[in-house]
Amino acid sequence: MDSVGDAAAREGSRYALKSRAKHADLQRHVMAFGRELRARELLSTSSEIVDSLRCMEMVDVADRGDVYLGMRSVFVSRPEDVPIFDEVFNQFWRNIARIDEIDETANNDDMSPDDQAGDQMEEGGEGQEQLQLSSPDGDGGEGDEEGDEEALPLYSPVEMLASKDFSRFQADEMQEIARAVLVIAKRLATRESRRVRVSTKGHQIDPRRTMRRNMKYGGTILELARRRRKIRKPKLVLICDVSRSMDTYSRFLLQFIHALQNTIGRVESFVFSTTLTRVTDYFRHEEILEALDRIAREVHDWSGGTRIGQSLTTFNAQYAKQLVTRNSIVLILSDGLDTGDAEILRLAMEEIEERAGKVIWLNPLLGSKDYRPLARGMSTALEHVDVFAPAHNLSSLEDLGRHLVVRR
Amino acid sequence: MIEGIRRIQDMMEREQYVTDRAVATTAFLAMELKKPVLIEGQAGVGKTEIAKVLATALDTELIRLQCYEGLDVNTALYEWNYPKQMLRIKMEEGSHRDVTQQESEIFSDQFLLKRPLLRAISNQEKAPVLLIDEVDRADEEFEAFLLEILSDFQVTIPELGTISAKFRPYVVLTSNRTRELSDALKRRCLYLWIDYPTFDKELRIVTRKVPGINERLARQIAMFMQAIRQVRLNKTPGVAETLDWAMAMMALHQEHLDPETVSETLGSFIKDRDDVAKLRGKPLDIMLSSMNGVEEEDLQAWIQSVTQRLEKEVATR
Repeated sequence: MDSVGDAAAREGSRYALKSRAKHADLQRHVMAFGRELRARELLSTSSEIVDSLRCMEMVDVADRGDVYLGMRSVFVSRPEDVPIFDEVFNQFWRNIARIDEIDETANNDDMSPDDQAGDQMEEGGEGQEQLQLSSPDGDGGEGDEEGDEEALPLYSPVEMLASKDFSRFQADEMQEIARAVLVIAKRLATRESRRVRVSTKGHQIDPRRTMRRNMKYGGTILELARRRRKIRKPKLVLICDVSRSMDTYSRFLLQFIHALQNTIGRVESFVFSTTLTRVTDYFRHEEILEALDRIAREVHDWSGGTRIGQSLTTFNAQYAKQLVTRNSIVLILSDGLDTGDAEILRLAMEEIEERAGKVIWLNPLLGSKDYRPLARGMSTALEHVDVFAPAHNLSSLEDLGRHLVVRR
Repeated sequence: MIEGIRRIQDMMEREQYVTDRAVATTAFLAMELKKPVLIEGQAGVGKTEIAKVLATALDTELIRLQCYEGLDVNTALYEWNYPKQMLRIKMEEGSHRDVTQQESEIFSDQFLLKRPLLRAISNQEKAPVLLIDEVDRADEEFEAFLLEILSDFQVTIPELGTISAKFRPYVVLTSNRTRELSDALKRRCLYLWIDYPTFDKELRIVTRKVPGINERLARQIAMFMQAIRQVRLNKTPGVAETLDWAMAMMALHQEHLDPETVSETLGSFIKDRDDVAKLRGKPLDIMLSSMNGVEEEDLQAWIQSVTQRLEKEVATR
């Protein structure tokens, strides 16, 4: 088994051994554990909790490996989840183990560890109240200094150069733009869906061609001609620059991304300034204002400097292989004012161009008559871009629609 | 580890599949809880293999549904054999038989073409293994349909009625992550991520799967692969490539890795033209020259140092 889980599993087993006798404890602990995972965005609802309890019935709960692996197979649903799961697992069961230790030293001064473990079984869950410390809806984290120190780090503050408060924007202005953007996004989406209808019809029999093909059998129908799907829906990958120089536009463009994602589906979105963050999940269900608020809070260095090349390189290394195919359109929203190395940007763009069906670069600066793409970064990137278009107002976004088709 | 998990591990090892505890535990739980397993991982790490091995180990039928974009219900579930039906109608034209009877005849079992999903739920003897391969390639609509099948294990054919599974199949889904699958599908499944193997595991795989290979060559190949996966390539070689390469070396009667032969056989495990160009020459020399005499405990340090040097070398090209 893998080394990351090993430590985590060892902690789990201490707990597991004791709770063998007390199934009710196990249930409560697993529920608290599930809540904690949910707080960290893992797929964890009541059905997962039920499943993991069923798993625990099947395996040896006194075995560290079994407990860890069993729970992991239920709560984890993509590789990115694994480190988070390990961390929470570790944290959670260590807290319980520590509570047990406190109990042990308080109650059984002279006993050997083995005896203590056995003893603990009978005493049951004295640690129950304290356990609540580690669950998000517990009544506060008072008392446990160690726990404070190791409190779940939500996001590393190191790179958080600036955090913006979106609530300061005027609400009515926001609403108006949101409405307009939604209309455009819907329009783009319906264009899309007309093609979807054609493609689902593709499963059906084509009567005209069937008749023609079967003329040779004297009108007896032996071969059926079918319609095939011809046009494939393109997938959209949006990469939005949220650096300081883009400030006036990024809010507006993010709304567009949000609306697009919620009407079209099949959209993956990222934001970057000096580092890249995947924000697809932020946009998936939430209200636009909440989503923006959360992104501003949690995305590193919002409104910081720009390193387009670096960010796109990260994109290529971590996501492109999975997300970008010949059937994808990569849409980059940035002003191209890069402070990084132009060569890195060139290489990154080259790779994106190679993978994607189409690369579109939307540059808000293109809206001004005097703008020429002379900025070093922009001019290098342009060689690898299929469409270079403005994105400074609603009508320029609307025009985008005709570019959102992959030609073959 | 409880008995059941060990048993599955032994079972898979007996079928020449080098497994680890995570795989065995998930397989065990999937069988016990009757839940499908979703296996994700890079290409060539043996995802599909798991289903095959399970079927052999359980001595049951393996039914495979290969997904692709545009896969529809007709291809996956069932289809009426239209030409045969047409012929029957034509033949019956002269006879004045009862129309309802004729109809029930041409919509009977013998005119039904069973596709993988229907076959999987209509096995009458024992539960088969149903492999739904590369499910990420199918469309979202198909995924929704799949979800329905996986929850009920029954199918309604309007002309025949409802067919429900006598034995619930063991379901294995694989995905290469070309897109995210829906949460609904994910939560119906147990999840297993398979990474590239560790050195030890890969060494075991090579010695197991390439009979007669000598210890030294096997070690060298496994080391080489560990290092090369750290280099940024367009197509990182998987375990399948490792085995191809080991076989190639065996066919050439090589006892150990030398620069010339490695260069010649590079194409058997690096399957991208740019990657081959990137690695040929100096990078290979760096790796091979530093490889000798590296002991087990220095392995990680060696991999680290050699990949650093490789990256530098490759970057200047």
